Amino acid sequence: MNDQAKTSAVLFSLSLMFLALSLAFARHLWEHPQPGPPVPLVDPALLAPTTIRTSYPQLIRLKADLSDFDCYGCHEKGKPPTLRFDTNQNIIVPKEHSDVVMGHGRHNRNNNCFNCHDEHNLLLLQVRDGREIKLEESPPLCGSCHGPTYRDWEAGAHGRTGGYWNRAAGELKRQICVDCHNPHSPKIPSRTPFPPPHPLRPTQEQARTPHASRLLSSSFPPPSSSPVLPEFSITRTTPRTSEQAHVTLSPF
Amino acid sequence: MPANPSQSNAGPGSNDSISRRSFLRTSAVFASGLAALAASLEPLRHLKDFPSTEQFLQKYYKELSPAEMAKVLKRIEDEVERQYGLRPQVKDLRPMDGVEFVYALNLTRCIGCRKCVHACVAENNQSREPEIQYIRVLRLPHGSMDMEKAEHNYNPESVPEKGFFYMPVQCQHCKNPPCVKVCPVHATWQETDGITVIDYDWCIGCRYCEAACPYWARRFNFTKPSIPKDRVNLNMAYLGDRPRRQGVMEKCHFCIQRTRAGRYPACLEVCPVGARKFGNILDPNSEVSYILRTKRVFIQLKEELGTSPRFFYYFDV
Repeated sequence: MNDQAKTSAVLFSLSLMFLALSLAFARHLWEHPQPGPPVPLVDPALLAPTTIRTSYPQLIRLKADLSDFDCYGCHEKGKPPTLRFDTNQNIIVPKEHSDVVMGHGRHNRNNNCFNCHDEHNLLLLQVRDGREIKLEESPPLCGSCHGPTYRDWEAGAHGRTGGYWNRAAGELKRQICVDCHNPHSPKIPSRTPFPPPHPLRPTQEQARTPHASRLLSSSFPPPSSSPVLPEFSITRTTPRTSEQAHVTLSPF
Repeated sequence: MPANPSQSNAGPGSNDSISRRSFLRTSAVFASGLAALAASLEPLRHLKDFPSTEQFLQKYYKELSPAEMAKVLKRIEDEVERQYGLRPQVKDLRPMDGVEFVYALNLTRCIGCRKCVHACVAENNQSREPEIQYIRVLRLPHGSMDMEKAEHNYNPESVPEKGFFYMPVQCQHCKNPPCVKVCPVHATWQETDGITVIDYDWCIGCRYCEAACPYWARRFNFTKPSIPKDRVNLNMAYLGDRPRRQGVMEKCHFCIQRTRAGRYPACLEVCPVGARKFGNILDPNSEVSYILRTKRVFIQLKEELGTSPRFFYYFDV
């Protein structure tokens, strides 16, 4: 009798447990995947393989308005423009050329327009060895100082490439120095990065409540190098667009 | 033990008959157990994206005759058209003779802008929701190659940041690939041009390769991948960027649909600083040959593992 009571109790609890389990499974009691915030799509226009600036040779190819490059619209032919320097030997950029940022070279050693421009013919560039070259064929001029980079560029190891690696299948697209580097300030400007990966589920840091976070931060201080992920960078896409548009459209 | 003979006759100890009570008891437990089992299998009802019979019965990639291959490509085109309403062009591009692809990445130049990551997603029809990306850009402090210090969720206002360098990691297309060794069904293998490929129709989704890869380069489709219709790249290759199913692995394949047609990979073309270089190492005039010949330092990531990657990182200036 005692054994039988035990068996009934066990069977009863078993069936109760099974019923509870079946209910739990059917109602997904412990499987409620929290859908994260929707992953914002990246604007495909930002992924175009264009260079970060539009150079003079590119403007010629685009048949754009080149009136900015008509030096003798303002300057007088046969009369080299005079340069003015302040007391620190920094060149004073005239307000007609206020778009020019003098930032080529460290230690302010390359602050003379006529290191590269030809004072006798402003439509040309001059190399220190006396060669005169056209504005759109500038790489040898850059190479006269940046020899190793010029060598690498000629071999295809420096600078951007595109198109076809297989010359038999199609054309290799090359860029020249000024397609990416502003000759007056050649350092590549810093830019806003594209958004980091979005986790499938909210990370622990995002999911935890203020109470839990207090608990966690007291026992496991999060490393300072890995900051808490913000609410993704949806809000940040707009300034990037305007910033990039600005970068790609400025002629120099 | 003095007991009632009739009770002992019908009791649990008896072999020939069972009492009504114990029968009911046992069947109640049995029924509730069955109900619990059925309920636990309930998520299977939501399972979609079954392979079609044709796909299920399809032969192994390497055993397909040209006629069978054409049929398979047509089936894929039909499937994509049904799903996205756009007719793609699916090709089966084979490796070229005398070509071995090598990638070189200039760590001095990389500014960590992640443009390559998103250009890759756009080119290779990766799932946007959930997000799958082949390239992971690591941010490392200057003077260290310690992967423990790498951070890939960095999100500053502007890059590059002072004191850090950036190292994009994707499939290294090893000469000695651990992922290929562990695949139980040979769904992933190395082609003669050095690209490690995956046959998405042959993959069983066991994720052994994901565990074997020391570079964390392989991605698994845990859920049904989703791509907005207007973002689908219609230039597709069988071993390349054709849409994947739920439950298969995928990874960087050097943009097979582009590189085997002679073009550069998408990540290279968009790199704003020209840090990425790609080409045929067997051609002495290619950029990668020049780089590996002349650049002072180049490293293979986790060289000590003996995987011998075809992806080289180098520094200059």
